[in-house]
Amino acid sequence: MKNIMGLVFANIYDSSLGQLTNKRTLASLPFGGRYRQIDFTLSNLANAGVRHIGVVTQYNFQSLMNHVGSGEEWDLELEEGGLEFITPFSMGVGNNFRGKLEAIEACSKGFLERAKEDYVILADAAVVCAINLEDVVKAHIASGKDVTVVVKAGIANDRKQLDLAVRLDEEGEISDMAVDYAAPEDYLASMGIFVMRRELLMQTAEECVAHNRYRFEREFILQDWADGKLSVGAYEFDDVALFNESTEEYFRNNLAIIEKEIRHGLYRDGLTIYTKVRDQVPTYYGENCEINDCIVADGCVLLGTADNSVLFRRVRLSTGAFVKNCVIMANCEIGIGAHLEYCILDKDVKINAGVKLIGTPEHPVILNRGDVV
Amino acid sequence: MNFQKKRCVAMLLAGGQGSRLLVLTENTAKPAVPFGGKYRIIDFPLSNCVNSGIDTVGILTQYQPLELNEYIGNGQPWGLNRSHGGVSVLPPYARSKKSEWYKGTANAIYQNISFIERYDPENVLILSGDHIYRMDYAKMIRFHEEHDSDVTIAVRQVPMEEASRFGIMNTNPDGSIYEFEEKPKHPKSNNASMGIYVFKWSILKQYLIADEEDPNSENDFGKNVIPAILNAGHKLFAYDFEGYWKDVGTISSLWEANMETLGPDPEFNLYGDGVAKIYARNYALPASYIDVHSKNINCLIAEGCEVYGDIHHSVISTGCRVGKGALIEDSVIMPNTVIEDGVIIRNAIIGEDCKVCKGAVIGGTFTGTEKRQISVVGKAHVIEANQVVKPGEVI
Repeated sequence: MKNIMGLVFANIYDSSLGQLTNKRTLASLPFGGRYRQIDFTLSNLANAGVRHIGVVTQYNFQSLMNHVGSGEEWDLELEEGGLEFITPFSMGVGNNFRGKLEAIEACSKGFLERAKEDYVILADAAVVCAINLEDVVKAHIASGKDVTVVVKAGIANDRKQLDLAVRLDEEGEISDMAVDYAAPEDYLASMGIFVMRRELLMQTAEECVAHNRYRFEREFILQDWADGKLSVGAYEFDDVALFNESTEEYFRNNLAIIEKEIRHGLYRDGLTIYTKVRDQVPTYYGENCEINDCIVADGCVLLGTADNSVLFRRVRLSTGAFVKNCVIMANCEIGIGAHLEYCILDKDVKINAGVKLIGTPEHPVILNRGDVV
Repeated sequence: MNFQKKRCVAMLLAGGQGSRLLVLTENTAKPAVPFGGKYRIIDFPLSNCVNSGIDTVGILTQYQPLELNEYIGNGQPWGLNRSHGGVSVLPPYARSKKSEWYKGTANAIYQNISFIERYDPENVLILSGDHIYRMDYAKMIRFHEEHDSDVTIAVRQVPMEEASRFGIMNTNPDGSIYEFEEKPKHPKSNNASMGIYVFKWSILKQYLIADEEDPNSENDFGKNVIPAILNAGHKLFAYDFEGYWKDVGTISSLWEANMETLGPDPEFNLYGDGVAKIYARNYALPASYIDVHSKNINCLIAEGCEVYGDIHHSVISTGCRVGKGALIEDSVIMPNTVIEDGVIIRNAIIGEDCKVCKGAVIGGTFTGTEKRQISVVGKAHVIEANQVVKPGEVI
């Protein structure tokens, strides 16, 4: 669809992923063996024919820019439209964005105003899914609502704090909204995807920021909806959506894609997930290796045993090494006879021979990029 | 338009029909045949060019060019999407006076003299699109220049008993060639030509024009052009190459070369650690799902696969699926092929986009006493449930 542009917020939830986002954005966090979280967001937009996307980021964005580059993998390297990074201090605004509304207001003049598209899809990179956004926009236009939010059932559980949750009545209309709240199970969680007209978005951001309102969900969606100034529709997504908003969720969801139903719900025909090409050699499986129930990317050399784990590119698993329930990012090296269970190894970690590390499902052992143990 | 002068332009002969690869080249040019899990044969000479600092490559296509053209695209995967030079696909085309297919290897270059002239190169490197090897052409070009050679031909030592299958270069102690024999019955030496030539462009151009005017010529480098240059008294040198090199023009050599990429210390190591990397066009596929409970795997598996079955000593290419209870041994499974549950495949090459239905049996065990029989299933074939494909059978 030519008439839609995208605005992606790359830093949302950075703070709740601890050391994994110390030196990168949540958007550039590796996921699923060969992806970064933002690959799903950008691919969903690209698959809907969106060819004009702004990526809002304000800190730790080196790895994000390196990964996304000019956007050519998503067909965003274009004469017109294409991909733009939106950062603070780059458009005459001399402070960090306190919330999405400030970021939107900041890029209003330079980016949104110059755009030709009538509709904007706002998204972040915390929820991993393959969604047909063309259907979402069509539903939004048909509904006549001011804003459509994409929601997912089965996420709210009385414990998980949600940015935005809605309760739907029998007609599918929103009957209640909750913000920053551990909503009960009958609420549907926002997937952070919103559709609205570009004009309305610009106007809203200007007004809100003028009144020191910067929190998109709380001070715009909820407030204006409650005041009867804004009509909001919900689009229920019923395929796989993985919310990676905490380290525990990130760990669990990485391992979840080992399950066929979840994997096939994420990698669907016609909704290809694109990523930066690294051009690695096919993985070599040695004579004595045993690899059961694993996700394995290219370029690995596997001589040991791995069970129920995700192995990113160029992982070296030595003879006699044992890995179970682990997420092992690119370029890690597991020494001879090492034993790992419930661990997250960030990139370039080296585990020496014989080292034993055992975490728990709730508290996996996390090693920082480049650690040597 | 005037271009900056290039030191060397590479011309890659990729027009061969590859009829000895049988069904695998029915709808595919030989250089586009998959190799090593994620590569195509042409990736090897192309990557060698890039790794040797050659940034201008002409690819001469003729037979089934569509797939190859699409694969090469703008050359971006090899870093050959340059504004000056880069990769150009050169099919035969209609000219104002006459139009014709490429009659032979030399004629293919002759028809593209104007392409080469645009870069005004010192030397032209002629390559074949059907060899698997890693080579630094820059070293060969340096050798060529240091010896002020008119033609330099890369050679490798082959076993003396096999020498009569090759073009043999008989050399003086200084490496200069005094005689060239095409498939001699009684070879004098075992310096076999690898089909890799560096020519001084001024010399090559002159002899290509002369060759074209000779109605009796087959317009072939090995048979006509090189003997003509040699007989005219020009300086020809042999350049020794010692690394892995394989002509994958037959089913058995293609199978062998694939098998030679396997093992902890393979004869041909695809891994680029510390050596020149082989580049390929990559497709957007997720990481593979692997659930192999068997021992003795010794396999290469590319991305986008789902493997549930038992696999031993095989190459499983990009986007394949191997069902539960399936057994694959000593075989090459080309990209995007589905092997259903309970299938048994031994000593076989299964082409791209095939479907092997439940319970089918392809090939047989190799006892080591007779010649190994490779079964072949051509591109996009469906092998029905419980169908049997005999050892050595070609479908």
